[in-house]
Amino acid sequence: MNYPPLNMAGQRYYTYVRQQLRFFVLDTNILDAAQLGWFESALQQSPEPWKIAYFHHPLCGNAGRHGSAVDMRVLLEPLLVRYGVAVVFTGHDHVYERLKPQKGVHYFVTGSGGKLRKGDLVRSETTAAGFDQEQAFMIVEIDGDSLFFQTISRSGATVDSGTIPRPLRHQGTL
Amino acid sequence: MSNVNVLSTPPDIRPGRTVARWRGLPELWHFASEYLLLLPFGAAVGFIWANRAPESYFRTAFALDFFVTEVAMVLVFGLATKEVVEATARGGVLHPWRRVALPIVAALGAALVPAFLLRTLAPVFGEPLVAQGWAATFAIDLAFGYFLAMVIFHRHPVVPFFLLIALSSNALGFAALAPAATPEQLQPAILLVLMAAAIGAALLFRLRGTRSFWPYVLIAGGLSWAALTLGGVHPALALVPIVPFMPRAARDPGFMVDAPITEHDTLNEFERWCRHPAQVALLLFGLVTGGVMVRALDHGTLALPVAVLVGKPLGLFAGILLARALGLHLPFHVGWRELVVVGFLATIGFTMALFFATVSVGPGAVLSELKMGALLTVTGGLLAMTAARLLQVGRFAPPAGKRT
Repeated sequence: MNYPPLNMAGQRYYTYVRQQLRFFVLDTNILDAAQLGWFESALQQSPEPWKIAYFHHPLCGNAGRHGSAVDMRVLLEPLLVRYGVAVVFTGHDHVYERLKPQKGVHYFVTGSGGKLRKGDLVRSETTAAGFDQEQAFMIVEIDGDSLFFQTISRSGATVDSGTIPRPLRHQGTL
Repeated sequence: MSNVNVLSTPPDIRPGRTVARWRGLPELWHFASEYLLLLPFGAAVGFIWANRAPESYFRTAFALDFFVTEVAMVLVFGLATKEVVEATARGGVLHPWRRVALPIVAALGAALVPAFLLRTLAPVFGEPLVAQGWAATFAIDLAFGYFLAMVIFHRHPVVPFFLLIALSSNALGFAALAPAATPEQLQPAILLVLMAAAIGAALLFRLRGTRSFWPYVLIAGGLSWAALTLGGVHPALALVPIVPFMPRAARDPGFMVDAPITEHDTLNEFERWCRHPAQVALLLFGLVTGGVMVRALDHGTLALPVAVLVGKPLGLFAGILLARALGLHLPFHVGWRELVVVGFLATIGFTMALFFATVSVGPGAVLSELKMGALLTVTGGLLAMTAARLLQVGRFAPPAGKRT
């Protein structure tokens, strides 16, 4: 796919920068060795204080239909932790869930913007917040060392909100 | 002569292998080894572990993956090559060439038809990327298929016929996997140079009359392994081009039958040394490939088993018709009823399909769906047993003259 606003340039996995934030976009359908090598190399070379990754399949999640992709978590989590990725956004499960920080990484499952699987969330001790009764979307803003997020349901209610600090190693290093 | 069946003498196979009993090894291990059950057992353990404690399972599986699939499995395929080499040599149960040609042509049909079906069905099942694992349709689980074939047919000539189909289909699968490597991975110059050195070394040992198998395995086999690894091809077949150079006994005692303990030729000594390590390799191979989370069941999961369960029997029959048109002959006592059962036995991809899927597609959601689909191909065993019962073949055959 080569639709410019998607930043893909025909690639399965890619990275791009917006001011102080670098996005890493992965293809978790096929997480081959070449992609993993590329990902680590891109993380190593990234000087931006904020690093955010997004991809389809959740590494951590408590939805009943799919849940955590543990095999991919074993491969990706060490890289996310080692190189200070602050937040990971995923989909696949059609619910909203915010996980408690796992080894310093904040995980969101934001799969209910379109299709909703009502009642599919099975909360566990790793769930910080969740919503599976209506479609929902997120607004995320970064200001300096803080990331502000707000999750809004289809009916306009704020179902979750909060602030995530920049990972310690990058605070105050604009 | 055109009606003479070249397999006029049923091959000599026994209900189990006569294994030289090592003192101290439990009887259960011997039983499992004789019937190649350690592989499905390892897969079952992996499956349960992955679903009960996935984090520890995947950490262990990824840590063991290289050693098991790229080193230990070399022994397994080396031993399989030994059986084929002996069987196809003069005096072997699959000599002359017309005995092996028909199963090979049949295997071609049994591989290509389901591969085509998978590429067609994957988008229909809503997961087009599953089609990238098409090499998995070539896979036939030799161990589990052999076990069921023995259960159904006992000493029937169709058993080695099925085994050769399985070996041929798996060999085609390996050949299919090589071009699947990305252009950056394939290094043809390195592959050819090192493989030439490996074969040259094996030939030199053979010409010098080297009786010990260790130089063949460690030096020639090591060069072959390096050729495949550095050349960008999966190294599990490293001993396949080397084993044929090992000196062997003048006569093959039978397909998958141990040679007498008095035979000390290089090839049989190789088998005696590697037999139990190969069983451990099979156990671990099942363990590291069989771990699939039940949650991997998704839209694309059914594409592989449907393609295989429908395509393999059809492809097998198409291949056999082609082979017959080319003037090749079926084994003695193998008719269409036996072929139906063989067709369903051939649908059991199971652990070999897991392996092919893992090699052709990296970790991720697509692989998980393919692996779950590979596990579901075990249902081919049920179909084979049902077909055997309905068609009254093998153990279900009525006394002569009383078939209904």
